[in-house]
Amino acid sequence: MTNNKVKIKTEKLDVFYGQKQALKNVNLEIFNREVTALIGPSGCGKSTYIRCINRMNDVIETCKISGSIKIDGQEINNKQIDVVRLRERIGMVFQKPNPFPKSIYDNVAYGPQIHGLADHKDKLDQIVQTSLKKSALWEEVKDRLDEPGTSLSGGQQQRLCIARAISVNPEVILMDEPCSALDPIATAKIEELMEELKKTFTIVIVTHSMAQAVRVSQRTGFFHLGNLIEVDTTDKMFKNPNNKMTQDYITGRFG
Amino acid sequence: MSEEKRIVKSYEEEMQSLNDDLVKMGSLTESQLSDTIQAIVKIDKEAAENIVKNDAQINELRAKIDDQISTVLVKRAPMAIDLRTTISSLKISHDLERIGDLAKSVAKKIEPLPIDLPPELTGSLKRLGELVKKQLNNVLDAYISKSKDKAIEVWRNDEQVDDLTHIAMNEVANFLGKNKKNLELATHLLFVTKNIERAGDHVTNIAESLYYLIEGEYLEGARPKGKEFVKDK
Repeated sequence: MTNNKVKIKTEKLDVFYGQKQALKNVNLEIFNREVTALIGPSGCGKSTYIRCINRMNDVIETCKISGSIKIDGQEINNKQIDVVRLRERIGMVFQKPNPFPKSIYDNVAYGPQIHGLADHKDKLDQIVQTSLKKSALWEEVKDRLDEPGTSLSGGQQQRLCIARAISVNPEVILMDEPCSALDPIATAKIEELMEELKKTFTIVIVTHSMAQAVRVSQRTGFFHLGNLIEVDTTDKMFKNPNNKMTQDYITGRFG
Repeated sequence: MSEEKRIVKSYEEEMQSLNDDLVKMGSLTESQLSDTIQAIVKIDKEAAENIVKNDAQINELRAKIDDQISTVLVKRAPMAIDLRTTISSLKISHDLERIGDLAKSVAKKIEPLPIDLPPELTGSLKRLGELVKKQLNNVLDAYISKSKDKAIEVWRNDEQVDDLTHIAMNEVANFLGKNKKNLELATHLLFVTKNIERAGDHVTNIAESLYYLIEGEYLEGARPKGKEFVKDK
């Protein structure tokens, strides 16, 4: 695991929302083809962190970001970077499944279409099928591709959003509490899927469930009040963390 | 160790109760072992009977601790220090139960022994018993104070237990060598000696579990070993 190469490297990352500092001097390395879990109490900065990686914070006017964010060594925290292209490389899945008000097929086909990844219908069909297979949804929807995405169950909708994210061949998938609105079976299916996805993609997941962080990730980072307190292998973090604050948080001594 | 209390009060209470029961089990085991050592040296057959009876209390506590640990695991999915405490408590309670069994087993051997055991046979046995008793006492103190250094000390001292076992066994073997009629008595005493040594091994296991609980790592390197029993020529 330690031989793995660094996919995303942030250095001295500071984020302000107006006067409020949301991230303080965060130095973190995310390794290629691993699942990295970010944990910490609400408002600790973990979601802010992942939103820096695909420049989602750009849409917030008062947000000021300084420091370095490199993906494969390339700086992405500057004005020159093509944000649309960046978001093609870095997909995102949100807490609440948010399929487009379109058919199942179109939900998945939309990205490849706007990014010009398919020049004819057969190619597009193929991308849709592959993406739905990779997100473990194909068998459940192959006979109803023209039905609205919103007609699916919550868990299926979330897997549809994952299919939508991977349809444009990203390198990284950011997941912001992807299972918090799902029942245990749907959660298990997403976790099982992550196991498969990490063979191809680098995954960063924000989760409030520590049990989930233990199950799905190889590395875990603990944030508190905008500081990255500790990052280590998940095994070490949950069996024997170095930092007392980490220990107090994961053993339910403060929240 | 964390001093802060948990947010969930019932979790705090569950862990406290687990700790209390383990300490209680430790002190019961300690007094059983202590009574056994005394009974064997004095050939006190009445005390031996009580020791055999009292073992059930230790077993009951172990069953209760097992159950508490299952509950904590399923209810709390403990992490970090709590995880290590839970796992170590499970192991420690099993080692304590085994020490209790060994004490009982020694007590059972007292019945067939003659009241006038030759003093040459009891000297080393008594010293061995006292040492193992002290080791158990020390490891329980270390558990209560969560002292890594005390745990290491106990772990190291097992070497002395091995050495004393060696000496005690040799004495029995020499006694047997003098007269073949001593065979039955000697066999009993060899078992007794070996059982006390084994109790010492379980004390060492407890020290190891405790070290893991405190440090999150296993004690490194092989435990210092005393002499293995080979009859001196």
